[in-house]
Amino acid sequence: MNAPIPAENTITLPVLGMTCASCISHVEGALSELPGVSQVMVNLATGKATIDRDSSRVSIEDMRRAVSDVGYSVPTAEITLDVRGMTCASCVAHVEGALTDLEGVTAAVVNLGLGTARVTYVPGLVAVSQMKRAVREAGYEAQERSQGLDALDRERQARGEEIRRQGRNLVVAGAVGLLVMVGTFYDMLGPLRSWIPEWLSYKWVIGLLTTPIVLGPGRQFFSNSWRGLKHGVTDMNLLYATGIGAAYGIAVINTVFPRAGFGGEGATFFESAALLTAFIVLGRWLEALTRGRTSEAIRKLMKLQPKLARVLRGTSEEEIPADEVQVGDLLLIRPGESVAVDGLVEEGYSAVDESMLTGESLPLEKKAGDPVIGGTLNKTGAFKFRATRVGKETALAQIIKLVEDAQASKAPIQKLADWVAGHFILGVHVLAVLVFVFWFFFGYRLYFDPTSSFILSPYRLGEIGVFGFSLLLSVTVLVISCPCAVGLATPSAMMAGTGKAAEYGVLFKAAQAIENTSKLQTLIFDKTGTLTRGEPSVTDVLVYGETEPGSLTVEDILRFAAGAEKNSEHPLGEAIVRGARERGAEVSDPERFQSIPGHGVEAALQGHAVLLGNRRLMAQRGVDIGYLAEHAEHLEAEGKTVMFLAIDDQPAGLIAVADTLKEHSREAIQRLHQLGLEVAMITGDNARTAQAIARQVGIHRVLAEVLPQDKAEEVKKLQAQGKRVAMVGDGVNDAPALAQADVGMAIGSGTDVAKETGDVILIKDDLRDVVVALEAAKATMRKVKQNLFWAFFYNTLGIPIGAGLLYPVIRLVVSPELAGALMAVSSVSVTLNTLLLRRFKPSLRRPAPTEPAAQVLEGARWADVTAGGD
Amino acid sequence: MEGDAVERGIARRSAGIYLPISIAAALLFLTAASLMGDYTPVARIGGAVWVGMLSLIVSMPVVTARVKGRARRRE
Repeated sequence: MNAPIPAENTITLPVLGMTCASCISHVEGALSELPGVSQVMVNLATGKATIDRDSSRVSIEDMRRAVSDVGYSVPTAEITLDVRGMTCASCVAHVEGALTDLEGVTAAVVNLGLGTARVTYVPGLVAVSQMKRAVREAGYEAQERSQGLDALDRERQARGEEIRRQGRNLVVAGAVGLLVMVGTFYDMLGPLRSWIPEWLSYKWVIGLLTTPIVLGPGRQFFSNSWRGLKHGVTDMNLLYATGIGAAYGIAVINTVFPRAGFGGEGATFFESAALLTAFIVLGRWLEALTRGRTSEAIRKLMKLQPKLARVLRGTSEEEIPADEVQVGDLLLIRPGESVAVDGLVEEGYSAVDESMLTGESLPLEKKAGDPVIGGTLNKTGAFKFRATRVGKETALAQIIKLVEDAQASKAPIQKLADWVAGHFILGVHVLAVLVFVFWFFFGYRLYFDPTSSFILSPYRLGEIGVFGFSLLLSVTVLVISCPCAVGLATPSAMMAGTGKAAEYGVLFKAAQAIENTSKLQTLIFDKTGTLTRGEPSVTDVLVYGETEPGSLTVEDILRFAAGAEKNSEHPLGEAIVRGARERGAEVSDPERFQSIPGHGVEAALQGHAVLLGNRRLMAQRGVDIGYLAEHAEHLEAEGKTVMFLAIDDQPAGLIAVADTLKEHSREAIQRLHQLGLEVAMITGDNARTAQAIARQVGIHRVLAEVLPQDKAEEVKKLQAQGKRVAMVGDGVNDAPALAQADVGMAIGSGTDVAKETGDVILIKDDLRDVVVALEAAKATMRKVKQNLFWAFFYNTLGIPIGAGLLYPVIRLVVSPELAGALMAVSSVSVTLNTLLLRRFKPSLRRPAPTEPAAQVLEGARWADVTAGGD
Repeated sequence: MEGDAVERGIARRSAGIYLPISIAAALLFLTAASLMGDYTPVARIGGAVWVGMLSLIVSMPVVTARVKGRARRRE
């Protein structure tokens, strides 16, 4: 049986047809009106809606219908499965039932004769492997037919279709529009007129040419806006439809009934209707062309997912789809092949390129016992590895999910922009009424000049009447106000930014994390394991009263200390155990062990009570450490951590261990200072040790002797001073502080990103990635601000000019087609500006990560060849 | 099926509000144009139609959304 679906769950639904910010509010509105839907968040750039809902009250089909009711669509895909084992009509019902019970499957039609099941489903909500499993669990065998496309191909296909559709529209509107323009300006073409037939300038011919443009490429605006209006929603299409419709309607009236009083033949606006349509379609086409490129990074990650795996069953090799590999399967990898899933090397030796996931430029050596990550590329040797994480659990799947989630989320600045854009359309229509009323009753009488013309056009307004003139300005306001660029400004930059950061192994969990990171003022670094390697080693051992007869030896001290720490996972404890073993001391198991956080450990060993920890612990337990304190001070002044050992409440000795800085800590801190950020270090260690490390790394503000549970308090104190604080830590011990900080950065997490606390996950154990995160966030927010500036710049500049504010002075008005061209330029310029983010490179330069796409081609040779024969 | 009937009811109730609003705006414009100057009948009527249409576009989504919201609250 399939696992029951929890009643309350979150799903991400792909939505097609959204072109502007107001579309977001329509889709959000339509979905949130459904019973059982508690929260909806739509992202224009990703074309996805994230929905919190009660699945017992609302189905995928309900949501799909709600989305299509407001003029958009949820794309579905079809797949045909070969089903074996069906013998009768009831089998059909069983298989259909098993498939339609799956979340995300909208229909399943089984053909008993052909032994196939044709399944319609929402990509991303259900995987083909789940369908096959459901059929298998119903008692049949299912195999995927080879024509099935994966989600990536489908997305590319959908985008390609949109580009082709708008391209066709553009060819029609552009070519015919050009004829309309030539015909309209026939009298002004001078000697060129001898090449052009005169009949092209006849108004009715121009009208005939304009009609297919309005009814063909322009039809989408009318049908989309009508669908929306029926459900109480307005969008950009309405602005265009009103503009094109008004220009065309007046032009028809003035041509057919020239004496009707609308301005006569001198005021036909066929070219306005035709060129306005052409420019809007041009904008849509360019937008479709460029928008897909902002999500290139996630596409590259998705491409890394291998399709096939070579599993060893006994002595034979078997090629199976990568998503069918089970945990525990033994897999074989040859040179040049991609690693199918995550696992542990069991046999063999090779160098594996992990740059596509971690940004680490050098291939890493892999031998027995080493972990390998699915999607990475095996370079030299062959090896066998045991699968440890498969399907959605693999590092690559987790990273893709994390980046997708981040891209689907909204930054606060985006929520504001969406709200503004969503309410803009109605405001613009109100403005259009006001503009019309003003010019009709006052403006025309006061300022109209028959010799005035359009901007960038020799076309005179001449015979235009009060109604035609007022209408012209009103229509221009509608067209020039379109806030399409506003809707794209933030999400497109966020997508590009999160994707680019992911290429360097920096994962932002949400768009808000980018915005917060860009505003940081103070960074607090955890010392152990973050600034330092976190693997201290024993440097000094001192025996208390060593000159006295019968005193303990150095080996005894190490033996007791290591025994007490044997079950500890603290780095200092591990260093002592390692140090004892290196010196040949026997490390036995303690009879009892208790960790005292921030102080040390307490254990019972070979019948003795052993206490190992700092001064505070000794003082609390009344152990007089005597002259050891003096030695300890010397050692601590050198940056070493001293732990006192007491046996049966008597001082026995001390052990000093020292941690060393990570390779790039100093460089990273230096760069952060250069960026004007305040940098602090936090540690549970004593002040002297902390100061010694801080001096080495170049940090001036040190928060020492802070217990793990108090780190969050220290963060809070800095926040109370009005600072925006980031905490950089290891994500496990520092979880409360990471959660308290404005931005929590979990460093060196490796690829098990799902377990990490923190808003920013740094996959590699390299502090320079903190700088990468900051610079990527700043670059992204810079782009967001630039985009919003350009988007609003066009509108704020365009609306007054379009409304005729400057007309009394300059005697020029903006034609609707110029307004349309300006709006197309605004959308395209915003998208192109975003694409500049692809050139982002962090200031602390390392060899750039190898281009994943190129590697995949190389690495997937084997996979593609075998897939082809599937 | 039941959902469609509810939708139709909402659409009818909404139209009962936004259509009078739009017609009122158009009539107001027509009256003003008739009183305030020597506009041609075509300009007056054309203007009234344009103002009425824009008023319809403004009031239709606002009214429909409100009526829908009220109906949902009642449920």
